[in-house]
Amino acid sequence: MLAYITAVAIVFCIYALLTLSLNLHFGFTGLINFGHVGFFAIGAYAAALCSLNGMPYVVGFTAAAALAALAAWPLGLLALRLREDYLAIVTLAFSEIVRVVITAEEWLTNGVQGLPGIPRPFASLGIGGNAELAYLALVVTAVVLAILLIRHLVRSPFGRLIQAIRDDEVAVKALGKNPAGVKVRVFMIGAAIAGIAGALYAHYMNYIVPDQFLPLVTFYVWMAMILGGAGSISGSLVGAGVLIGILEGSRVVRDLLPNVMQVEMASLRLALVGLLLVLFVLYRPNGLMVKRDES
Amino acid sequence: MGYAYYVGLAINGAVEGLTIGLAALAINLVFAVGRFPNATTGDLMTVGAYAGIAVQQSGLRSLWLQGLAAVGASMALSLALYLFVFRALRGRGMLAPLLASIGLAILVRSVLSFFAGHDQYVFQLPIVRPIMIAGIPVQSYDLWLGGVALVCVLLVMAILFLSPIGRQMRAVADDLTLARTSGINVDRVYLVMWLLVGFVTGVAGMVLGVRTVVMPEMGWNMLLPAFAAAVLGGVGSPAGAVLAAMVVGIAQEMSTPVLGFTYKIGLAFMVLVVILAVRPAGLFGRVERVR
Amino acid sequence: MRFNRREIMLTGAASLAAAMAPVGFARAAEPYRIGALNPITGAGSPYGSGTQKTILFAAQEVNDAGGAAGRMFEVFAEDTQTAPEAGVLAAKKLIEVNKVDAIFGTWSSGVTLAIMPLTDAANVILMTNSGAASISTLDTKDLVYRYSTTGIRSGRAISGVIEKEGLTRVATMAFNNASGRDLVAGVKSGWEEKGHSLVAEVVYEPNRPGYRSELQQILAAKPEIIMLGSYLPDTTIIVREARQMGSDVRFIGPGYAIAPKLSESLGAEAVEGLMAVDYVSSLDSSAYAHFSKRYQDEMGSDVGENFYASCAYDMVQCTALAIEAAGPGADNTKIAANLRKVSNPGGKVVSGFAEGKKLLAAGEEINYEGASGPLDFDEHGDVKPLFKLSKLRSGALEYQYMLSL
Repeated sequence: MLAYITAVAIVFCIYALLTLSLNLHFGFTGLINFGHVGFFAIGAYAAALCSLNGMPYVVGFTAAAALAALAAWPLGLLALRLREDYLAIVTLAFSEIVRVVITAEEWLTNGVQGLPGIPRPFASLGIGGNAELAYLALVVTAVVLAILLIRHLVRSPFGRLIQAIRDDEVAVKALGKNPAGVKVRVFMIGAAIAGIAGALYAHYMNYIVPDQFLPLVTFYVWMAMILGGAGSISGSLVGAGVLIGILEGSRVVRDLLPNVMQVEMASLRLALVGLLLVLFVLYRPNGLMVKRDES
Repeated sequence: MGYAYYVGLAINGAVEGLTIGLAALAINLVFAVGRFPNATTGDLMTVGAYAGIAVQQSGLRSLWLQGLAAVGASMALSLALYLFVFRALRGRGMLAPLLASIGLAILVRSVLSFFAGHDQYVFQLPIVRPIMIAGIPVQSYDLWLGGVALVCVLLVMAILFLSPIGRQMRAVADDLTLARTSGINVDRVYLVMWLLVGFVTGVAGMVLGVRTVVMPEMGWNMLLPAFAAAVLGGVGSPAGAVLAAMVVGIAQEMSTPVLGFTYKIGLAFMVLVVILAVRPAGLFGRVERVR
Repeated sequence: MRFNRREIMLTGAASLAAAMAPVGFARAAEPYRIGALNPITGAGSPYGSGTQKTILFAAQEVNDAGGAAGRMFEVFAEDTQTAPEAGVLAAKKLIEVNKVDAIFGTWSSGVTLAIMPLTDAANVILMTNSGAASISTLDTKDLVYRYSTTGIRSGRAISGVIEKEGLTRVATMAFNNASGRDLVAGVKSGWEEKGHSLVAEVVYEPNRPGYRSELQQILAAKPEIIMLGSYLPDTTIIVREARQMGSDVRFIGPGYAIAPKLSESLGAEAVEGLMAVDYVSSLDSSAYAHFSKRYQDEMGSDVGENFYASCAYDMVQCTALAIEAAGPGADNTKIAANLRKVSNPGGKVVSGFAEGKKLLAAGEEINYEGASGPLDFDEHGDVKPLFKLSKLRSGALEYQYMLSL
């Protein structure tokens, strides 16, 4: 059973990274980003292509973070000019452009056939327990580092500026600070974390294909973030945990509702995600982990 | 390839653009008055199409009756969404209703597939051969679609620009606080707006259903292109949304001899990003101040 | 991304008791554990449940016959959700929690490619119906066996049909995913080998409100027939649009796209004569007769077009025979080495495990002829499955003839 729990924990950590980085964008800085899966995909493909071409893992992970951040740069500049509702749509469109390009540029990405056989770090430890635990240690380290980074950003003078921008951009400008540069940098840092999550995902799944990077992933992460609470680090972890619970825990539900057809379970799983999102927006907009009087 | 080939492509693009344009029109209404991108638009269409199919399965073969059912169902759902969810979220900014609409879209779609399954349904219409006009094959369904879309747009414009409630709607779109202080019944304006959205999505769902096949994902798949068209058209410009959708549709199809077919949808989004980079308010929109 | 619901089922209440009982010598043989990893939900759901049930009852049959080389079969069932992530989590659980020796019945290529590194590392035998060609090349230990064939080879079979039907101007349209692309790539290579060339080729992105420009490009080349690498919904739209554009062009495609449902959707007249190429079980074999009767008893419904269930039946039979032939205490490498021995030509033809077990005990060579086909594995671990050509006639699929690869 341990091995299975380890596998679920690894997937949880990958979602936690996505949720944390989205939280950095939105919860801490107020940047609207509905294209998170685009950074995730860039990271996954960058890491996969590097290691399939024989480069060391370090290069792959660096490329994943750097390319995702690079892709975020023009988007961040655009974010400065656009109304937030337009920005929501533009970021969504961005992630679809990423997917279309990955699908179409077969010479690089193998297109719809996907990239099989992506090597896994620690494979030399053999299948089963040890390699799996080592990988878990790696993803947990990544989550811890991401948390430390975000906390550092939030608490540093830079971070106070970030929050000031979120709360009153005009005042910040009046103080002679440049909110634009800060926003773009935050956007790039968050994208880099999502890129790392993509790299970890690709090396863990061993096989990636463009269909795994649909906007639905972005919406899942938004649900996790809202559920836990925008602007809350512990909330991101709780939100990601609930999300994995819904997606992976339907086995338990099936035992409780034996009459539900197997095929219908997929619909019920999805319905629950949608329903939770609506209910939280309506009745608990600050999420589980944020006190009501904050915000 | 002669000019007829390119004219053909342009017609295909215009027809696809019209189909998406109706959805963009519905998005634009909510955008202008409700001030958020409504992600349930696609699924409102789907529900409309399924209602039309339900009428057909019950043995009634009249397309008008089916269309009536589609419009009725979409209007009912649209109203319900407003009353139970979006009304409570008024004044909560753009993000709360957007997130709620994403959640609702997922919910509606999964409930639909839970009950209706994943099998496809089709509107049983006779297949009509094209007629030749100046060497160009023209399909009668296209003319019907063009007519329906035109009537739809004109109706929405007439309500917006000629009726008292339309004037109030535009007032709310321009400045909610001002509208409220000048004695406009804002509740009624929202109610009518959501009914109008239901009407347009019902028609759009029926049009899409007739042109393609009816499945739980049909409307959701149209959402992103429709969003793109609505933004390109610019908020507060219903005709702009439809026009933008047609422009994008035509550009997409005309690009295929050069770019191939797999980049089509990517092209639409790239056009969106590039145009917004140059004109942050969209093609036909007014420049508004941010915040 | 969605994850899995999983279920654990143990077959054969007797299996535990039997495993405890001494077999041959004083030591009890380990049970042979099988993961039934099937697409219960998602795109493969029409086939998944039937496949999974088949693995369960087929394993029961092996146990009823006393097990293979003294080893009882134990089955653990899981859902792939037809999605790679869910498949990986399920495979991990099967391999590391249930300690399975083999995984049977993966269906989508995405899932199979994603779990292959796991099965490979753990020396687990993997038996699949996925169509990706790379599955063969990535199988370094010869532990992966495909009870159907690649999409590319299926496409080549289709090119044979087109030639046989006397058609010369051929175009292809493919749904932009791996299986659509492989199918038309196969048609193209087969067709060009015959000394012809395609008049037009188009790959389209799915989920569009129409495919008219794609069709316009195809029709401009004036094809007699369009080969579709598509599914039912997009086929419905494409055929309807072709007719609305005034074209009477013929279509050929896989059986899941050119189906009676197409005629229900568009009217029999619009689809008259459209051709479907599909896998077919070995309908005349005695293994099939036995399998289909058991299926009917267990599922309460006809096996119908579920070719994959017949494959699953054969996966269990073949593996059991290979274990029996390898003798007690054999590991997976040795068992896999015996798979070809018990199912490829050369021996006495058998149609089930019990029959084969007796002959093996008598020291005879055997050749299992399965419910899904003759099952002769080539060097890649692939078989040459049987295909049939059918045509839509007045709304129903009418069988025409069998075809070979």
